Amino acid sequence: MGELIEVKNLRKVYRVGDEKIVALAGINLTVHAGEVCCILGTSGSGKSTLLNLLAGLEKPSKGSVIINGVDITKLKEDKLAIFRQKNVGFVFQSYNLMPALTAIENVGMPLMFRGMPKRKRTKIAKKMLEAVGLKTRMKHKPTQMSGGQQQRVGIARAFAAKPKIVFADEPTGNLDSKTTEEVLELMVRLTRQNHGTLVLVTHDNSVAQYADRIVRITDGKIESDEINQNVKQFASEQSQTKETAQ
Amino acid sequence: MKISDLFSTCILNLLRRKVRTILTIIGVIIGTCSIVVMISLGVGLNEAQQAALSQMGDLTLINIYNYNNGGVVAIGGNGSISTGGGSSQAPVLDDTAIDAIRAIDGVKAVTPVLETYNMNIQSGRYLYQGNVVGIDFSALPDFGYEILEGRYPMEGDPEYTMLFGEYTAYQFYDTKKKRNNYVDYWPGMEGEKPDPFVDVMSDRFELTYQFYGEDIPSKIPEYKMSVVGVLKGDAQRDYNTMYGAFVDINTLKRLVAEQAKLAGEKQQQDTGYQDVRVKVNSIDDVERVEQAINDMGFETYSMEQIRKPMQEQTQMIQLILGGIGGISLLVAAIGITNTMVMSIYERTREIGVMKVLGCKLGNIRTMFLGEAGFIGFFGGAIGIGISYGISALLNSFLSGFLGGTIGVGGETANISVIPFWLVLLGMAVATGVGLISGFYPANRAVKISALEAIKHE
Repeated sequence: MGELIEVKNLRKVYRVGDEKIVALAGINLTVHAGEVCCILGTSGSGKSTLLNLLAGLEKPSKGSVIINGVDITKLKEDKLAIFRQKNVGFVFQSYNLMPALTAIENVGMPLMFRGMPKRKRTKIAKKMLEAVGLKTRMKHKPTQMSGGQQQRVGIARAFAAKPKIVFADEPTGNLDSKTTEEVLELMVRLTRQNHGTLVLVTHDNSVAQYADRIVRITDGKIESDEINQNVKQFASEQSQTKETAQ
Repeated sequence: MKISDLFSTCILNLLRRKVRTILTIIGVIIGTCSIVVMISLGVGLNEAQQAALSQMGDLTLINIYNYNNGGVVAIGGNGSISTGGGSSQAPVLDDTAIDAIRAIDGVKAVTPVLETYNMNIQSGRYLYQGNVVGIDFSALPDFGYEILEGRYPMEGDPEYTMLFGEYTAYQFYDTKKKRNNYVDYWPGMEGEKPDPFVDVMSDRFELTYQFYGEDIPSKIPEYKMSVVGVLKGDAQRDYNTMYGAFVDINTLKRLVAEQAKLAGEKQQQDTGYQDVRVKVNSIDDVERVEQAINDMGFETYSMEQIRKPMQEQTQMIQLILGGIGGISLLVAAIGITNTMVMSIYERTREIGVMKVLGCKLGNIRTMFLGEAGFIGFFGGAIGIGISYGISALLNSFLSGFLGGTIGVGGETANISVIPFWLVLLGMAVATGVGLISGFYPANRAVKISALEAIKHE
């Protein structure tokens, strides 16, 4: 597997008044294509800052983030926008759907930014919404949907343009445990289908167990970085394997 | 993003906050109405003035007077003519000069006018002793001379072709009678026109010279003339269209020279025409053409000399009225900016998300500029529609009171006139104000950090 993301000696220092807060203190990390990588850390550990830097939403104080051979910390904002259009999908903790748009329109939005004609993106959006199990909610607006349904729209939106990488920032933070598992399963399944890569940030140890690889961050440093030998299986997969065993 | 998507996004966002959008648009409507109605009053005033002026004379006519130079014309039978040529440097207003004037951009037609008072036209026992006027026949239609009967003279007509004024026929008097020898042209009680002594279109006419004093030549030549048409009398344009007789300018020049010779006058050096008329294409050409003719060294007169200061005054009034209207549009502009800043404040999160999802900065700017522009555009369009209504109301209710003072007696002038350019101007100003008002908010939207969006609430 090729190296997709390469982080070199990444530092981020915030200045609050006279005080310096070191959010990231020299991170070195490589994410391979096709991985489901979980960044695990407590609140204030610097995990979200790391994700922002990986996605080019912030500039580091020092160091570089090379994605697919391009150092995105050096890109101007317009280039970054195009870079994100082509390579990156996002899943947010609070869904961040457009309240005025229907599910189809929300999913089609990244495609609209790319300049795709309406008919074509509606077709893709419908397919995506079917894939996340929202066939009956296509014309609904976000306020007419539950949290889990909204997050599934968010996932459909993130994967609609078939990006190389999907970043998910606490995607299950606002969901109950049953929905959490459904949502995680969806993301992992779509990542595998697209042959993409998923970078998942969470504070929840149980969520991390579904990832191929777990990177623990404490106080802006990588505490441990290990392959998850024992990837937790989703309930549906367990029943499937049971069936085949029988 | 596709332009169609940008547009529909703008409209969708405007529709999301209907009340606020409508209120902001009302602001623009009021602003547009006040500007358009105010300017329309100025335009109405201007038009009324021009109508009044054009009753005083033709606004697109320039007269060149060349009396300083004297000339061969205006010969009295006693030979007391010619005040002597002007200075030797003085330009000559001859056919070459006329060709040069004709070549000036904006000139529609030029004709010299030669008026003589000492030629007679007779038809049997009936005699005409009025003016015989030389003019370039081919320029007549351009100068607005209208034919009442018959036709314009054409190329190929004989040299001695004439046009009569509307009432010229009534100028013939009976030479065999001492008394009661005129036919009055005033219609009778039933409106029937009296018959003049001569039938202009079919009778034969002869043109002869009239001499005064003792040096009357023994033999006075006579020229057979034929009348091809009668002009419509228009005293404003040319009083000769009422009672005069028109001959081709070149013919008359030759006749005048012959008459002078017969009277025993010495041949004068040709110092050119004394009276040349220039017709220009439009009012806007008058000043420039007149200046060009002045630069050639000729004195001119036109209505422009009256019209110009009057127009400057009305333009001043228009500017003041427009300025008053502009204030309310300025208020509307602030309203648009306020609405847009508010909506950007509310949509910070959405803007951030759009950026994270890869929306280009230019698209975001266009989106917000577009929203502000649409507010301006719709406000402008509705405002102009309403302005037409206000204008019609003003004209129907107020012109009764004011028409007498501004307008010309008889016809009531409109006090509010919305020409097409004002519609375009109104639309352009309203949309432009929208875009300018949207500029600051749009740039603010562009500067919003994408990070805002994914920060946890």
